[in-house]
Amino acid sequence: MINIKDIRKTYMKTSVETNVLRGVTFSVQRGEYVAIMGASGSGKSTLMNIIGCLDKPTNGQFELDNINVLQLDDDALSALRNKKFGFVFQQFFLLERTSSIDNVLLPLIYTDKYPADATQRARKLLDDVGLKDRTEYHANELSGGQQQRVAIARSLINDPDIILADEPTGNLDSENAAEIVEIFSRLHKEGRTIIVVTHDRTVAEHAQRILELKDGQLKG
Amino acid sequence: MKISKNITLSCKLLTVHKLRTALCISSMTIGVAAVIVMVSMGRGAQKHVLDMIRDMGTNLIVVNAGHVTLVGGRETQSAIVTSLQITDADAIKSQCASVVDAAPETSSKMSVQWESENLKTEIVGVAPSAFRIRNIEIEKGRAFDEVDNDTAQRVAIIGEVIVEKIFHGETPIGYLIRIGGALFEVVGVMKAKGIDANGVDRDDRILIPLNTAMHRLIRTTFIQRIHIQVTDSTQLKSAETEIRELLRDRHRLRDKPDDFTIQNQATLIETERESSRVLTLLVASVAAISLLVGGIGILAVMLTVGRERRQEIGLRRAIGARRRDIRTQFLLESLIIAGLGGFFGAFLGMLSTFLASKIGNLPAVQSWDAMGAGLTLSFIIGLIFGIYPASKAATLEPIEALRAE
Ligand SMILES: Nc1ncnc2c1ncn2[C@@H]1O[C@H](COP(=O)(O)OP(=O)(O)O)[C@@H](O)[C@H]1O
Ligand SMILES: [Mg+2]
Repeated sequence: MINIKDIRKTYMKTSVETNVLRGVTFSVQRGEYVAIMGASGSGKSTLMNIIGCLDKPTNGQFELDNINVLQLDDDALSALRNKKFGFVFQQFFLLERTSSIDNVLLPLIYTDKYPADATQRARKLLDDVGLKDRTEYHANELSGGQQQRVAIARSLINDPDIILADEPTGNLDSENAAEIVEIFSRLHKEGRTIIVVTHDRTVAEHAQRILELKDGQLKG
Repeated sequence: MKISKNITLSCKLLTVHKLRTALCISSMTIGVAAVIVMVSMGRGAQKHVLDMIRDMGTNLIVVNAGHVTLVGGRETQSAIVTSLQITDADAIKSQCASVVDAAPETSSKMSVQWESENLKTEIVGVAPSAFRIRNIEIEKGRAFDEVDNDTAQRVAIIGEVIVEKIFHGETPIGYLIRIGGALFEVVGVMKAKGIDANGVDRDDRILIPLNTAMHRLIRTTFIQRIHIQVTDSTQLKSAETEIRELLRDRHRLRDKPDDFTIQNQATLIETERESSRVLTLLVASVAAISLLVGGIGILAVMLTVGRERRQEIGLRRAIGARRRDIRTQFLLESLIIAGLGGFFGAFLGMLSTFLASKIGNLPAVQSWDAMGAGLTLSFIIGLIFGIYPASKAATLEPIEALRAE
C-alpha cells in the first residue's frame, strides 16, 4: 500500500546543505507491522513526516494506494491525513484543559461528516486502551502513559488504514512503554498497518520487520 | 467542518487563558461603551441647547436694533443704536399677516438698592405681551399689565438671583427697591430659567413696564429689540421676509444695508443642531480610537496565542485540518473576543447613559443607533485585527509547527 522509491531530503540552512535522506526505497503491505530504527538525528522523523504527508521530499516517488501523493495540493493532503493516517507522537500533543474524550473526538471535526455515534465510538476506544474511567479527565490530570493511550485512541477515531508512531515510548518508563507496545500488537492483530519509529530495540522487536536508517539510507 | 463544533471549541480555548482573554474583552468593552456614552452625551448637550432655544418662546422671531454679531460664539449687540421704535413693533403687529404679537423691549445695566444691599443688574423694560411671547412665568406675586404699562407704573418683577443676593431668599413682594435712584415696588418674582444659549443668566434681571423704562428711567425714544410671535413654525421664513421689507420701508433704507438684525428661531435651531452634530461626531470619533486600541490588543493577543499554540496548530494539521480551518478557528476567536467586548460595552454604555441621565441628572439621550454602531464596529475591528494573526497561523507549515517548542 505504501510505495516509496529513492526518496531524498535535503535541508538548506545558512547555505550549508544537509542530506538527511539519500535515496530511501521501501514498501509496506497492508496489515504489516514495521519498525524503523536509527540513531538520533539519522532522519527517522523526517522520513516519518514524509510518509504521513506532513512534509515533502526534495526528490523521489511516493505512492499511497496507487495515488501519487506528491502531486496532491495542500487541502487534498489534509483530507488524506484525516482519512488514512492515525498519528502518535512522542510528546502526545493533547489539547490542554480539554477532556480525554474531547481530545479523542478532535479529528472528527475535520471530517466531511460528523458521525452520529461519535461519542460512543470515542468511549469504546478509550475503554479499549484501559481508560474507561478517565474520559472526563483533562490531559494535565493524566500520567504520561495515560496521555499516550488517549493519543492512540485519538489516532483510531477516524478508523485509519495506517498508524504512524514516532518514538511513542520515548517519553515513557519501561512499564508504560510495555503497555503501549502491547496495544500496538493488538491493533496489528486486528488488521491495522503500523509503522513505528523507535531507537529502543525492545520496542522494535514486536514488529514483523525492522528497518535500519543509517547514512540516509534504509537497510533491513 | 462543523461551525458550531468550532465555536464551542474556540470558546473552550479562550477559557484556557482567562485573564488575558478578560483583559482583551474589557478593552473592547470600554471602547464600545465610550462611543455610546460620548454620542449620548453629545446628543444630550444638543437637546439641552435646543430646549433652551425653544424656551425663548414658541415660533419666535427677534429683531435687534443695529448689528448682532457672534463674538466667541456669543451674541453681541453693537453699542447704543437708534433705529428701532415702538411704532415699528406696532406696525409689524398690525401689518404682517403671519404675526400674532410683537413685544418691544429696551434694557440697560443699572444699580439696584434695598436697605444696605445693592448690586448691578439688567433692567429690562418690556411690553406686557412679552410674558406670553417669551414664556416668562411668574413664581410669586403678579405680572404687570397694559394699565401698568400705559400709566408707566413703577412696578418691578425680579429674578431669582436678585431675590437671593438682595433679599437673601425672603419673599420681597410689596418691598420698595431703588433702581437707578427711582423707587419701584416689587410686585412679582419670575420663575427661574437659568442660563440661556448665549450664556446670559436669565434670572439675574428685573422686568419693568416698557413705558416706565423709556420715560422715567432710561429716558429714550428708541427700543433695542422686538420679540415677535408668528402663527406657526412654517411661517417663520416668510414672516422674516415680510418683517424685513416692512422695516426697510419704514426706515427708508433704499439701497443701504439693514440697520437691524433679524433672528429666526428656526434658523437658530438649525445652526445649533448642525454645530452640535459635528461636535458629537468628533467626540464619538475620539471614542472610536479607543476601540482601535482594543483592536490592537486583540492583534497582540492573537499573535501571542498563535506562537504559543504552534504545536496545537501542527497537531490539528496532522489530524486533517486544512489551512482555512486553522484560519477560521483563529478568526472565530478574535470575533468572539470582539463580539463579547462589544456586547458588554453596549450594555455598559447604555447603562451608564441611563444612570447619568436618571441619577446624575446629566443631559444624555439613550442612543440605540450608537449602540448598534458600537456593536458593528467591534465586530469589524475583531475581523480586521484577527485576519493577520489567523493567516499567520494558517500559513505555518505542519512540520515546523510540530517541531516548535
Ligand atoms: N527544518 C529543518 N531544517 C534543517 N535541518 C533539519 C530540519 N529538520 C530536521 N533537520 C535535521 O535533519 C536531521 C534529521 O532530523 P530528524 O528527522 O528529526 O532525526 P531523528 O528523528 O532520527 O532524530 C537532523 O540532523 C536535524 O538537525
Ligand atoms: Mg525524531
